[in-house]
Amino acid sequence: MRRIIASVRDGRGFDFVLVGVPFAFLFALAGLPLIYNILMSFQEVDMFSLGSFIRPFVGIDNYVALFRQPETWPILTNTLIFVVGSIAGQFVIGFGLALFFWTSFPGASWLRGLFLVSWVMPGLVVGAIWNWILSGDFGVLNFFLRESGLITANIFWRSDPNFSLWAVVIANIWLGTSFNMILLSVGLSAIPGDLYEAADMDGANAWQRFWTITLPMMRSTIGAIIALGLIFTLQQFDLFAAITDGGPNNSSNVAQYWAWDLSFRQYDFGRGATISVIMTVFVMFAAAVYVRSTRHEVRG
Amino acid sequence: MTQQIELSGINKYYGAYHALRDINLSIPKGAFVALVGPSGCGKSTLLRSLAGLETISSGDLVIAGERMNDMPPRKRDLAMVFQSYALYPHMTVEQNLTYSLRIKGVKKAQAKKAAEEVAAITGLSDLLHRYPRELSGGQRQRVAMSRAIIRHPKAFLFDEPLSNLDAALRVHMRKEIRALHDRLGATSVYVTHDQVEAMTMADHVVIMRAGVIEQQGRPLDLYDRPANRFVAGFIGSPAMNFIPAKIGENGRSLVLDLPGTQMLDLDLALQPGREVLVGVRPEHLVIAPPDQLGFDVPIVAIESTGATTFVTTQTSPEIVFVQNGRSSLQAGHTVRLGFALENVHIFDAASEQRLSGD
Amino acid sequence: MSETARNRLMLMIALIMAAIYLFPLYWMYVTSLKSGSEMFANPPSFLPSSAQWQTFAFVWESRNLGRYLWNSTVIAFGSVALIAVLGTGCAYVLARYRNVWVDLGLFLILMLQVLPASLMVTPIFVGFTQVGLLDYPRLAVILAIAAKSMPFFVVLVRATFMAVPMELEEAALVDGNSRVGAFFNIVLPLARNGILVSAILIFMQAFGEFVYSKSMIQDVSLQPASVGLNSFMGPNTSEWNNIMAYATMYVTPILAIFVLLQRRIVSGLTSGALK
Repeated sequence: MRRIIASVRDGRGFDFVLVGVPFAFLFALAGLPLIYNILMSFQEVDMFSLGSFIRPFVGIDNYVALFRQPETWPILTNTLIFVVGSIAGQFVIGFGLALFFWTSFPGASWLRGLFLVSWVMPGLVVGAIWNWILSGDFGVLNFFLRESGLITANIFWRSDPNFSLWAVVIANIWLGTSFNMILLSVGLSAIPGDLYEAADMDGANAWQRFWTITLPMMRSTIGAIIALGLIFTLQQFDLFAAITDGGPNNSSNVAQYWAWDLSFRQYDFGRGATISVIMTVFVMFAAAVYVRSTRHEVRG
Repeated sequence: MTQQIELSGINKYYGAYHALRDINLSIPKGAFVALVGPSGCGKSTLLRSLAGLETISSGDLVIAGERMNDMPPRKRDLAMVFQSYALYPHMTVEQNLTYSLRIKGVKKAQAKKAAEEVAAITGLSDLLHRYPRELSGGQRQRVAMSRAIIRHPKAFLFDEPLSNLDAALRVHMRKEIRALHDRLGATSVYVTHDQVEAMTMADHVVIMRAGVIEQQGRPLDLYDRPANRFVAGFIGSPAMNFIPAKIGENGRSLVLDLPGTQMLDLDLALQPGREVLVGVRPEHLVIAPPDQLGFDVPIVAIESTGATTFVTTQTSPEIVFVQNGRSSLQAGHTVRLGFALENVHIFDAASEQRLSGD
Repeated sequence: MSETARNRLMLMIALIMAAIYLFPLYWMYVTSLKSGSEMFANPPSFLPSSAQWQTFAFVWESRNLGRYLWNSTVIAFGSVALIAVLGTGCAYVLARYRNVWVDLGLFLILMLQVLPASLMVTPIFVGFTQVGLLDYPRLAVILAIAAKSMPFFVVLVRATFMAVPMELEEAALVDGNSRVGAFFNIVLPLARNGILVSAILIFMQAFGEFVYSKSMIQDVSLQPASVGLNSFMGPNTSEWNNIMAYATMYVTPILAIFVLLQRRIVSGLTSGALK
């Protein structure tokens, strides 16, 4: 006992305590749920069997039934559109802004930081604001689009199945662009300035410098940011709750929202768990890509 | 003489990597010992093992008669001066100096007095209320020293303390550290990669390579009688010349592996035909009159610093020798070089161990 | 073009872009000040003709916003406290060593960081029901948020600890301190700013948290402001000025903290996210 105390005070024991407790906590509240999730995806779990540990084992029935449901494929397609659309928008606009703010002028870094308010706001508030902006008859976005002649009739962003998913994508692009921009700015400022001077001496114009120096030097940053974007996009839940609620008729539903909906609206926890397991595998894959692309930096 | 620090059979592994190999070292009380070697030789690991910042894998580490292998650093009563100085940035100079006293529970007034006394010695009296970031490099170095001095530890450990200073200040601090050591009657272990520092400051120099002590002894003994080629090449600047050679048929002469058969008839007693390396320091090579013993070499480059001139020959391996003052030699000339027998070091070509004159 | 003229032009363009980007925020504030009829005017007015300040008092009272915000604050503080206590030491150890185990720990941390709350909520909810934790719903949400956000905190704070030179701790050890003493005396004070900034980021996240609260807190009197806002926005609501007033009162404190500490938050965030 005295040896243990001495080790905690002076030796490796201190490290083990500091790292052991949080990992035990994380195991209990993240590791176990992950495992439990897999278990539940092979069980029938509803309101009545919720409290008991022994539940009917149904094998892969949940998985089979899930893929027989007519809404499954459209929802998975929606998820793909949501992810690709959001990441593309966030990245392109974010990169553009980052390049602009890269040309340093007084106040640039402060203004650039201000953009990040979109990211620190609660997702539900962002959703509420965009819900109002995108409203059909009185939404200010429709007003701008009408005034600029892009549309003649109002778009019912939230209730038209053709647009409902894009309503959430627009809000999500707004929310995530600033974060992309900040990280890309960091990557840009890490490129040594003399590389550009050397390229200048070699006769490269601005366009060529961008393609031959900026982009190649940013490759690992861009990889990390795309992977982070994928992770954040698959975490996005609040905007769906605040803007379309997945509707109308699942036209804007995505897998992560559907999983919650199955469990907490339809009380089919087994099927909710099934979708969760499938999505978790995807997210883990994205995370592995992210860790790989930042690996050398992690090791420092 | 009492031994302040005694290391016997110390080994240290990092996983499969053998960082320290069977280190034996005795440091008497009041000694100034320098650990020197190229980077990665294990000198810092050895120092950190002394301090308790690394644990040793086997062997005995005794400080002032007490086995310290498993003691945490705070129970060893050693003071350390780090290469980066490691001054606590959130404390003033005075707080930095008195930190160890405050941990021990020394009264505030007493600690303050101790700090003032030490500051007077090291010339920091006016800076006690500054923060480290407000000090120059030299001043920071003094704070780091003072922080060690204030404790009256069993020994001082220095980890390349001068490597962040500019050349002039380094030469000055060298003398100052040695003077402080003598004045305090301290025991010091000093790690450096600079052989000049080791030679000028220490009573006892330990030369390490790849986790092994290659040779240890008084500085000039190492210079005069290096035990192997590594030590011979490490000590002295510019570095010793090594010329491949063979022992002559009679066992008394050297056949140098240089253009034109160059044989030197010396008074050796070695196995005939043996492959050896002849080591001669640049300062021991002299220009010999044409009729005297020597070997002829063409000159390729002449570099003069004003006080001395370094001459490089066009041979393989190239040979460097030193002349005082200006030189009348020019590139393209051929000169006859000679040396005195007592200045020649002969090493076995394969083992690189010293052969001549034991 | 001279340097100052160029700078001024760039600043103008930047201000215009910022104005466009932050327009949704402006729209929230403006709408909250509009009257019920002005809100639906066509064309919409971009400055309220007469600011309806009483909307805020009305919404505060009628929606019981004080109670919602109190619950949000309790949940956010609870999560931050738990995360800071557990995560700081973890980040320190992961920053101090570099070996296979630390790499593995970091990998696990990064993996946990990415798990979406909406996917984790199902097993957590069922598990909590079974062990009876749902009888203390706010505590349950705090635990769930702590598990979700701690990895992010660890990643950020680890970057801070990496910037504290190891020699400082070693100097303290040689000076006679124990590991515990050196950690609290030397390492923690030097990492304080980074820890604080990360804690603020976590606070802002937890303050706006929605999924766990929505799923696990049935009792209205214990729900946080995010859930309150969600139930305020029925499918066919027309009270947008009231909703925007609610949103304004909800986010303005967060935005104020952010604008005040912007420089530090941005640098803290960027040092962690890419490393």
